[in-house]
Amino acid sequence: MPFEQVNSKVVRAHVSQATPVLSRRGAMLGYDGRVVFRPVHGQGQGVGGMMGRAFAGESNPMMAAEGQGSVLYGYRGLHVVVIDLKGETLTCEADRLLAHDASLTTSVEMIAQGGIRQAVRGAVTGQGLFTTKVNGMGSVAVLAHGGAFAIPVNGQPVGVDPQAYVGHTGNLNVDLQAKVGWRDAVGRGSGEAMQLIVTGQGTVYVQASEEKF
Amino acid sequence: MMEQTYNPMTLPSNDNVNAYSFSVDLNGQWFITKGAMIAYYGNITFQAVTAFASAQAWVAAKFSSPVYIHDWVVAEGQGKLILGDRGFDINSYTLEDGNLTIKANNLLAFDSNLELKQSIVPGFVTLIGSGIFLASSNGPVIFVEPPFRADPEALLGWADVPSPSVHHDAEWMTRSIMASVQGAFGRASGEEKQYDFTGQGTILLQSSEAVRRDNALMRLVESQTDLLAPHQAGQLGQRLVARAQQANQ
Amino acid sequence: MPTLHADKKVLHVDLMGESIRAAQGSMVAYTGNIEFKNAGMGGGGGLRAALKQRIAGESISLMECTGQGRVSLAQNADDVTVVDLGNEVLTVESELILAVTAGLQLDVKFTGLQGVSTGQGLATTTVTGTGQVALLSHGPIIPLEVSGQYPVVVDPDAYVASRGQLNMSMVSGVSWRSFVGEGSGEPFSLRFDGQGVVYIQPAER
Repeated sequence: MPFEQVNSKVVRAHVSQATPVLSRRGAMLGYDGRVVFRPVHGQGQGVGGMMGRAFAGESNPMMAAEGQGSVLYGYRGLHVVVIDLKGETLTCEADRLLAHDASLTTSVEMIAQGGIRQAVRGAVTGQGLFTTKVNGMGSVAVLAHGGAFAIPVNGQPVGVDPQAYVGHTGNLNVDLQAKVGWRDAVGRGSGEAMQLIVTGQGTVYVQASEEKF
Repeated sequence: MMEQTYNPMTLPSNDNVNAYSFSVDLNGQWFITKGAMIAYYGNITFQAVTAFASAQAWVAAKFSSPVYIHDWVVAEGQGKLILGDRGFDINSYTLEDGNLTIKANNLLAFDSNLELKQSIVPGFVTLIGSGIFLASSNGPVIFVEPPFRADPEALLGWADVPSPSVHHDAEWMTRSIMASVQGAFGRASGEEKQYDFTGQGTILLQSSEAVRRDNALMRLVESQTDLLAPHQAGQLGQRLVARAQQANQ
Repeated sequence: MPTLHADKKVLHVDLMGESIRAAQGSMVAYTGNIEFKNAGMGGGGGLRAALKQRIAGESISLMECTGQGRVSLAQNADDVTVVDLGNEVLTVESELILAVTAGLQLDVKFTGLQGVSTGQGLATTTVTGTGQVALLSHGPIIPLEVSGQYPVVVDPDAYVASRGQLNMSMVSGVSWRSFVGEGSGEPFSLRFDGQGVVYIQPAER
C-alpha cells in the first residue's frame, strides 16, 4: 500500500507481514497495532536481505518496522515528499531518505573510486561519499527543507544548485561543473563555484532552500 | 500575488488569519507568552504576570505553576490582537468544562477564563475549564485515537485520555544488545521508548522537532536534581556534558 | 517585463532576454540560457555605493540574472510573496528582498527599521518606481491597513515592509525587565499611523 501523506511533514505507512517498512532512525512519531522495530544496517532488498556490515563512515543506519499496524513518520519538522516508484530508480542522498517500502532494492554508490569530478560532487552535496539508489515498485518518503518541486527534464539541460538538489528519477546524467560567475548564483559561504547540470529524460527534485537541512 | 489587506474590522474574531497566526478579539484579558504578540489595533497594555501576581490573587490562582510563570504576560484592553509563534502552525482549541494537557513549550495563549496547572508528565501543562487557548506545532497537528504509542518528541498533548504510561520496547532492547548497537543503554534513536495511551479520547502529535529551548523544563529538571547526593550530581553533570558534545558531532 | 510567479517558498521567473536582480545565492534551479553576475549592493554606483557596502556589511548583495528561460529562486525555505509597485516607494528590511524587476531603483540605509537600531545591524532598502518585488518572510505575510481611524502597533521582529504615507514611532512594550532569562522580545514596539499598509510576518527574524 503506498505511503499516505498525512500533511506536508508527516507520512503514514501501513505495515503488514508482506510489507515491512525501513526508515531512518529517529523518524518514528508513533504507531498503532502490533509493530516491532529493530535496527538494521547496510543495503539490499527486504529486511532479511540487508547486508549486516556497515561501511566505514556510512551515515545512514536504518530501522525496520515489522508486524501489523500503521506507523507515522516525520523528522524534525522537515517537509516530506512521497515519490511512488513504478519500476524506475530514484537516486538521492542517503540521509534524505525518511522511509521506504522494504521491498524496494537499495544500493549505495561509493564515490571513493571514480574520477575527481565524482569525489567533488560528494563533497559539495555534503553527503560525504555516498548516494543511494532505490529501485522497484513502492513508496519512498524523502526529506527536503521547505518542500521540493519537480522539474521535468526532457532534452533541455537543467541547472541546479548542488545544495538544493534532492534527487532524481529516470535516465538522467547529473554532472558537476564549474562556471565563471556561478559563485554569485549559489554563493553565500559555500565556497564552491559549482553547479549541477542535469541532462537526459526524467525528473529532478529540487528543494525550496539552498541550505541542506 | 498579494492577498487582501486587513484592518480591525476585517481581521477575524478569535480565528486564524493564516495557518501561522491568530487574531484575538480582545475585550478583557488574555494570557499570552512573551514574544507571541505580532501586531495589534486598539488600546491594549501588556504586563508581565509576575507584576500582577502579588496585586491580584486571582492571577496567582490561575497560574499555579511557578515554573512557567516567568514566560507569561497579561494582555488587557480592547482591540484585535494578532499572535504567532516563530512561524509554527497555530491552532485554537475550545474547551467546554473540559481539560487538555499540552506540551508547555507549545502553549501560546489562553483566555483568562481557563486555569493552568502543571502536569505530572514533565514538560506538559493542563488547561481546565471553559474557554479558548492557542497552541503552536511544527506542521499541522495530527489527531489520533488510542490505543496508540507516541514518540516522546512527537507527542504534543492529549484530551480526555488517562495520562500515558511509558512503554519500553523490550524486543528492540534485546536485539540491540545482541547486535551491540552503539548506545544500547542510552537513548540511541528514539524507537526504544514511547508514551502508551489506552482508553478513550484524543492524542495530538506533530513531526518531531529538534529540541526547542524550553527554559521552564530546564528549571524543572534542575530542581529535581536536588534529590541527588553531591557526587551523584557530579556524575550526572559529566554524562550530560558528554551528551551535548556527542550531539554536536 | 519578466513574470514573477511565487509558489509558496519558491519564486519562478520567466525571462525573455531581460534581466532581474535577485539576492545572491538564492538560485536553486534554472532552465535555458541564463547568465549570473554580481550586481553590487543595489544602492547606486561609485563611492557612495562602496561606502554603503562597508557600513551595511553583507546585509544585501545582489546578483543579476539575464537571459532566456526560467530561474527558480528560494532562500532558506522562507515564504515568497510578490508585491506590485505602481510609481511608489516600498520600504523593506534589506535581507527580506528576494528579487526586483529592472527599472526599480534601490537605495540602502545602513540602519534597520527606518533608523531604529535593534542592535542587529540590519539595513533598510527603499524600492522606488514601477515593477515587481518578491519578498521573503518566515510564514506568509499579513498586510495590515493603516489609516487615521486605526493606527497599528507591530513587534519589530515581525516587521517586513511598508508603503504609503506613514509615521513610525516607538512605544514601550511590556515591562520586560521583570523577566529572567534569555530569549528575544524587543523592549519596544513600533507604532504606525498615517495612511498606508504595513506588511508583517507571523514570526521573528
